Amino acid sequence: MASVVLQPAGHREVLMGNEAIARGAVEAGLQLMAAYPGTPSSEVGEVLLSAAPESDYYVEWSLNEKVAFEVAAGAALTGARTLCAMKNAGLNVAMDTFMTLPYGGVKGGMVVVVADDPDAHYSSNEQDTRLLAAYAEIPCLEPENQQEAKDMTKAAFALSEDLELPVMLRSVSRISHASGDVLFGEARAERNEIGFNKHYEMPYRWDVYGPPGAVNKHKWLHTALVRAQAKANESPFNTLVKPKGAKLGVLATGLGAAYAKEALNRLGVGDDVAFLKLGMVFPFADKLAKAFLQGLDTVLVIEEGDPLCENFLRALAQEDARNVKIFGKGISRIFEPYGELNTDIVTAAIAPYFGAQAPAAAKEAIRQELAKLVIPRSSTLCAGCSHLGTYCALRTALSAYPEDAVHIVNGDIGCYEQAGYGIFGGDLQIDNSASRRYQAESPYDVLDTLYVMGSGISMAHGQSKLGYDKGKLVAVCGDSTFFHAILPALANAVYNHSNICFLVLDNRWTCMTGHQPNPTTGLDAYAQEYPRMEILPIIKAMGVEFVRTADAYQKEDAVSAIADALAFEGPAVVVMEGECQLQRQRRVKKTMAKTYVNAEACSGCKTCVQLGCPATRFNAAEKKAGIDGVLCVDCGLCQQYCTENAIRVRRR
Amino acid sequence: METNIIVTGVGGQGSILASHIIAEAALKEHGETCRVRVGETFGAAQRGGAVASHVRIGEGVYGPLLGRGTADLIIALEPMEALRLSVPYLAAGGTVVMNTGMQVPVDVKVGAVEYPSLEAIQGALQRLGKRVVAFDGGELASEAGSAKVLSMVMLGAAFASGLLPFCEETVLSVVAAKVPQKTIDTNLEAFALGKKTYQQAVHA
Repeated sequence: MASVVLQPAGHREVLMGNEAIARGAVEAGLQLMAAYPGTPSSEVGEVLLSAAPESDYYVEWSLNEKVAFEVAAGAALTGARTLCAMKNAGLNVAMDTFMTLPYGGVKGGMVVVVADDPDAHYSSNEQDTRLLAAYAEIPCLEPENQQEAKDMTKAAFALSEDLELPVMLRSVSRISHASGDVLFGEARAERNEIGFNKHYEMPYRWDVYGPPGAVNKHKWLHTALVRAQAKANESPFNTLVKPKGAKLGVLATGLGAAYAKEALNRLGVGDDVAFLKLGMVFPFADKLAKAFLQGLDTVLVIEEGDPLCENFLRALAQEDARNVKIFGKGISRIFEPYGELNTDIVTAAIAPYFGAQAPAAAKEAIRQELAKLVIPRSSTLCAGCSHLGTYCALRTALSAYPEDAVHIVNGDIGCYEQAGYGIFGGDLQIDNSASRRYQAESPYDVLDTLYVMGSGISMAHGQSKLGYDKGKLVAVCGDSTFFHAILPALANAVYNHSNICFLVLDNRWTCMTGHQPNPTTGLDAYAQEYPRMEILPIIKAMGVEFVRTADAYQKEDAVSAIADALAFEGPAVVVMEGECQLQRQRRVKKTMAKTYVNAEACSGCKTCVQLGCPATRFNAAEKKAGIDGVLCVDCGLCQQYCTENAIRVRRR
Repeated sequence: METNIIVTGVGGQGSILASHIIAEAALKEHGETCRVRVGETFGAAQRGGAVASHVRIGEGVYGPLLGRGTADLIIALEPMEALRLSVPYLAAGGTVVMNTGMQVPVDVKVGAVEYPSLEAIQGALQRLGKRVVAFDGGELASEAGSAKVLSMVMLGAAFASGLLPFCEETVLSVVAAKVPQKTIDTNLEAFALGKKTYQQAVHA
């Protein structure tokens, strides 16, 4: 079956937002796509890759977002239609080039897809990257649904070429990872011609430093922005509906517009409300907004993220409509400045301005009462995950130090970050009222710091150089992170005589985002064989004196390697090897596990449970451990950690 | 017309596939008049996390998420997930179709919390909605030929509730198109077993 994004015009299908974006790019005649996977953006690349064999564009998994952005930018300078996709935090990695590229702009259409994550479902923060589009002074589009995600992506290429500026398409989790009906449009048959002109319409066009200089190029950018603002005022994605005599207005952007429409319907009040829906949110559609403000006394602003358009509207009202009261997330707050919106929240927030009351759900008291029966399901690593072996070995090696030692294990981003999520059996409060003494009773409490890609090792290095002596300093990273952000950080730590223990958790895949290949996999993005780029020799080449590999599934090997690294004076690195179990299981067809617990021998000590593997069970009444034969992959870890020889392997 | 459904389970059980089959079948029959939305919530983890898909079908549907107390039907592949989603979302007149096979969270295993009894969960669901149909879907899946087709068993049972706005032929054609070629028969068998079980449970 042909890939979903290659279906003909007129086809209608329920598409995930990311698939819709990919389809939009195909309709626009995409020539190159580059991305580093990041939830919730990864499927844009995955879908384009799946259709690549039947298409003429190039796709790659770049090693980080800055690289991906530059790959797409470089190609766009030669006239190609290019796209790069990333998650919210990915844009922070690409910021250097992102901020500077607009000074000379692009020749071919370049679309930067950024999937934000309000409510931080999959992210370290809730940043609103629309602000970064405004910061970089490039147009920003924000879809309301999957149909618009497709249509906007297609239109963004033309807009980008028209303005000669990269264009950002800002999605959110509830667009990218939600699905909706999408009607397919015609795909552009022609492809942009590729060429290069050093002085294309401007001297030294692609050289920001070159004459007439960065300030003049910034000046050019502002002339382009004037044209961009005119586009915003005419954009089909920006619509104003204004009934005669309307006093109350709603300004809603992107997904906020979907929630706003449903909320108005629920309250039964939509008919005499002025409704300004903005899909092109930067530059701000000033003329449209002026027409909207005219004659209104109250405006409610509904946008997912920060008060971007709200603040633009306030600035405009300052000149034009001083008496209008504006409510949103900024000064007169009707929405919290954190978390995400939904129709319930929007309905409750706007109802009072219509003299209405949000309809309440039936049985509210019963709901409150029964909510107490719901128990959490904390995130875990998969059954038989190699990281379980690494973390258990690390805990074992650290336990050899005095009990009052305060070790710092600096985390990083990937599946293994779950070792910092904790298991709480309930919500923790930010005021520390429900906190407790740190106690590593599972691998899920091992990490002490956890921020962004590549941040752990340099934090450990800083702690080391400060002379921290209350415990050992450890940092971890994964294989994909190693190539994404660790290379300069590790070289820095080595060059500056760090004294840290650094563990590279090499499971050969970029797992958390959906098992994309990376240089350690042995496959390229197209699943073609490619010689593995070994991590160990790279580290050796940096001059690290203590560097060795250990098998994450062999307790003795793993514990002794980590213990030696902890004891070593100077930077010590252990590459913990063990392929992702999910990927391994896809090759090794699994039947029911052979591992079992001999109940007679089991003392109920829970050592195996503390390994944190989802396949181990514990019967609290009988105080006996057990193994879930469906989940268990016979990795042998719990067997090695069992002190009573109670975990055994059935012979068949 | 507006239909609001939640499909929930634990990562790896197939709830997302089931939700997309519902959405696609609805689109096939109502694409000209209705909007279809699927809002998914799942954690960052690959396996074992709580997963829920909000499926919305209707003329007045814009957003991807159900409102509080508006689920006409909750299809749950795991009992605690049935409760987690029913507490906020189940409508007073709503139906829950639930697999009784538990996936015990790590929180219970380390002794932080206790998993409530199946009776307590079913009792709670009864108080929240109108109808609860619970059965061992895993067993039926094995009967159909593979533990992996649990979501099709539950989809078949949900279909028998009459709350899904499309005919059997449509949904079966979507199932056949969405599952791997080799597993079509097993999936269709699972669907039929689930449907039969629901009908027997309701008429018992």
